[in-house]
Amino acid sequence: MAVAAAAARVWGSSRGLGRVGLLLLRQPGARGLARSHPQRQQQHFSSLDDKPQFPGASAEFIDRLEFIQPNVISGIPIYRVMDRQGQIINPSEDPHLPQEKVLKFYKTMTLLNTMDRILYESQRQGRISFYMTNYGEEGTHVGSAAALDNTDLVFGQYREAGVLMYRNYPLELFMAQCYGNVSDLGKGRQMPVHYGCRERHFVTISSPLATQIPQAVGAAYAAKRANANRVVICYFGEGAASEGDAHAGFNFAATLECPIIFFCRNNGYAISTPTSEQYRGDGIAARGPGYGILSIRVDGNDVFAVYNATKEARRRAVAENQPFLIEAMTYRIGHHSTSDDSSAYRSVDEVNYWDKQDHPISRLRHYLQSCGWWGDEQEKAWRKQSRKKVMEAFEQAERKLKPSPNLLFSDVYQEMPTQLRKQQESLAHHLQTYGEHYPLDHFEK
Amino acid sequence: MAATAATAGRLLRLRAAGAEGHWRRLRGAGLPRGFLQPASADGDAAQRRQVAHFTFQPDPEPLEYGQTQKMNLFQAVTSALDNSLAKDPTAVIFGEDVAFGGVFRCTVGLRDKYGLINQTVQSDAGPRMALANLWDVWSRNDPFELSVEMWIPQVAAGICVHLLPVNCSWSNGSVDLQQLSSYLQSDRKLMRDVGHNFRRQSQTMMTNCRMCLVGISQHSPHLRFMVKGMIELKVTSVQQEELVVIPRSPFQAKGLLLSCIEDKNPCIFFEPKILYRAAVEQVPTEPYNIPLSQAEVIQEGSDVTLVAWGTQVHVIREVASMAQEKLGVSCEVIDLRTIIPWDVDTVCKSVIKTGRLLVSHEAPLTGGFASEISSTVQEECFLNLEAPISRVCGYDTPFPHIFEPFYIPDKWKCYDALRKMINY
Repeated sequence: MAVAAAAARVWGSSRGLGRVGLLLLRQPGARGLARSHPQRQQQHFSSLDDKPQFPGASAEFIDRLEFIQPNVISGIPIYRVMDRQGQIINPSEDPHLPQEKVLKFYKTMTLLNTMDRILYESQRQGRISFYMTNYGEEGTHVGSAAALDNTDLVFGQYREAGVLMYRNYPLELFMAQCYGNVSDLGKGRQMPVHYGCRERHFVTISSPLATQIPQAVGAAYAAKRANANRVVICYFGEGAASEGDAHAGFNFAATLECPIIFFCRNNGYAISTPTSEQYRGDGIAARGPGYGILSIRVDGNDVFAVYNATKEARRRAVAENQPFLIEAMTYRIGHHSTSDDSSAYRSVDEVNYWDKQDHPISRLRHYLQSCGWWGDEQEKAWRKQSRKKVMEAFEQAERKLKPSPNLLFSDVYQEMPTQLRKQQESLAHHLQTYGEHYPLDHFEK
Repeated sequence: MAATAATAGRLLRLRAAGAEGHWRRLRGAGLPRGFLQPASADGDAAQRRQVAHFTFQPDPEPLEYGQTQKMNLFQAVTSALDNSLAKDPTAVIFGEDVAFGGVFRCTVGLRDKYGLINQTVQSDAGPRMALANLWDVWSRNDPFELSVEMWIPQVAAGICVHLLPVNCSWSNGSVDLQQLSSYLQSDRKLMRDVGHNFRRQSQTMMTNCRMCLVGISQHSPHLRFMVKGMIELKVTSVQQEELVVIPRSPFQAKGLLLSCIEDKNPCIFFEPKILYRAAVEQVPTEPYNIPLSQAEVIQEGSDVTLVAWGTQVHVIREVASMAQEKLGVSCEVIDLRTIIPWDVDTVCKSVIKTGRLLVSHEAPLTGGFASEISSTVQEECFLNLEAPISRVCGYDTPFPHIFEPFYIPDKWKCYDALRKMINY
């Protein structure tokens, strides 16, 4: 494993582990599932050789005492396609995406940005209870979402609204969820930003961190067993990667050989905790090889880099049934949420830098402009149009009624148990007498 | 909540943006306030988020502890932590986001006053330097993100084993059940199996709870889950090892927290989120203690006993005055304060006097702590009861977002239950 780590440091992903893969001991599984790495040989057990016979590691002996130095000064390199001005650096890495697709990237990112601003403001005005913005991370959402098939299952953490937006989740439903009105697919039960959509294969967001990681692994394992030609992508932040669930998830994914992409948005902060206090190793990408997972680090603010990496990871994950780890480096420009004021723990200058000098939206815009696919006129028109769209959806969402209070009790169990039915009846009864004290006018009957 | 929004709004630097604003916004504050038209006047009350279902009732200014200062709940907590760090130089606060002041502002100013311990800080504070050398990894600014509550108690328990009294705190005690189970399992092991070999200081764990107009099921854990977690551990004796404490007000919070810190048993201290800013009263600046495992009779009465804790105390206080006014019924109001072990004597004494008991909490009915109280009281006071014990609690569903006003056991539900008990 030390070899893998060292190799990975030098050359990121495939090459390093490929060599090591050959050395890995593999016993056929108890269930006799076909091995997906035919090049792994079973080592010959012989008591005459002076070679290590330990089942736990495949390595040579060494007679020098040497600790492996974690290398964080020059860590795993960051893959990028565009520079900060949106110019392609290495033409052979240009994905050559059609204009239509790239425009969709741009429009999705900017629409998300607009929606964020308006919903954040609406929380400040007391119209919704809570909100989390995605400023600065739009590139990670759109780049990765675009590289997947529409049926690939998405497990998010809470800052992946762009993925859903790319999959054409209507503004109306985003707003409905935040307002908890009748149109909300979640029936008003979840707090804002906890989106979920079955048709778009986006698993409902759940607040506790990193719980989605082992769940995603399970789903990927099921996809493999069903031969579904589907991949599961699991998003999380660098802070969530410190959770115990992340460790379990990574290890299971590797040992169960699941077609899963672990996508870590390393945005520099976990609420107030900076990455300098989050870990001492080389970020999250360096952990992958420790589990036997192919890993790469990308520039998360470069949509094309994210796209390329995710595309390749998807292709191989499905073909080879193995997990991939993508660490997308980015920056959280906004506050953690509406309950946070980040000026308490970071400087305005730092935030300004990322907002002005290295933002996924502006980098893509420069690219579009240099291709001649976008100009100031279109920019103006689109800004107006997108704001109008968002405002319309917003006003409509605000006017709608909330779901009926009966929905408080349904869906807890498949069949409502008697005890719960009694409670439902007692509420109905209570409202008959005391209804004037409740905001019944705003709820459906 | 509007106050919070306004304060936070002031903290954000609002930039006046023209109609053609930039896509990129700093801190989301770019839009001028007037951009979004305010909701129409008649739809206002409920289209805005629900205002609180209770009114905080401050206690009269305490005179026996010296000078007092106006504080809200989180300031009272800060004051208690300040006092305890001042008294004991080996004490450590270990928790999520505690260095910059905490998500709920409970540790504001403490870092500047007492120092931050982590590997890179080289201060010349004596005992703390020794601490840093010895332990080197315990930092007051918790390196974990929201919900690594799983490991905070574990790590903190470890700190306790090796020397130091620890306050460990985390926000949004959401993943309670799981981490508390694992914590309690490891804690139990420490106490019992390893206990004699290690000098074990006490540990106070602080977390916040209760619905707060924002969070729902994952951010509004109920006491019930915590208690249930203990029951589910199948080792019943664990219940005697941890104290569970919930204050109803800033004055109570500081006194109870200081008692928890000094108590030799590990304690779990809940802070009702909604009271952080809503509850303001005069609180002594010097340290003082409020005894644990003692309930407080806030108001004496003769016809019904009302028992609650935390925020719900203010609800039942209001119910008591409603009952007096509309039904001529005199209620005895009890704040339980310590949930485990609870003050059975005070409650039973009251029920023997009144003959009727109503217990109320926001946590779901089934398996909630009211069932424990109810069960014990009927055992002890069966012949004194004039009516079945009434429990007004949340429903047996996950805590909902938009349906919150219907879910919570508000004063109308309590009043109705009380009325039925009187007419039994």
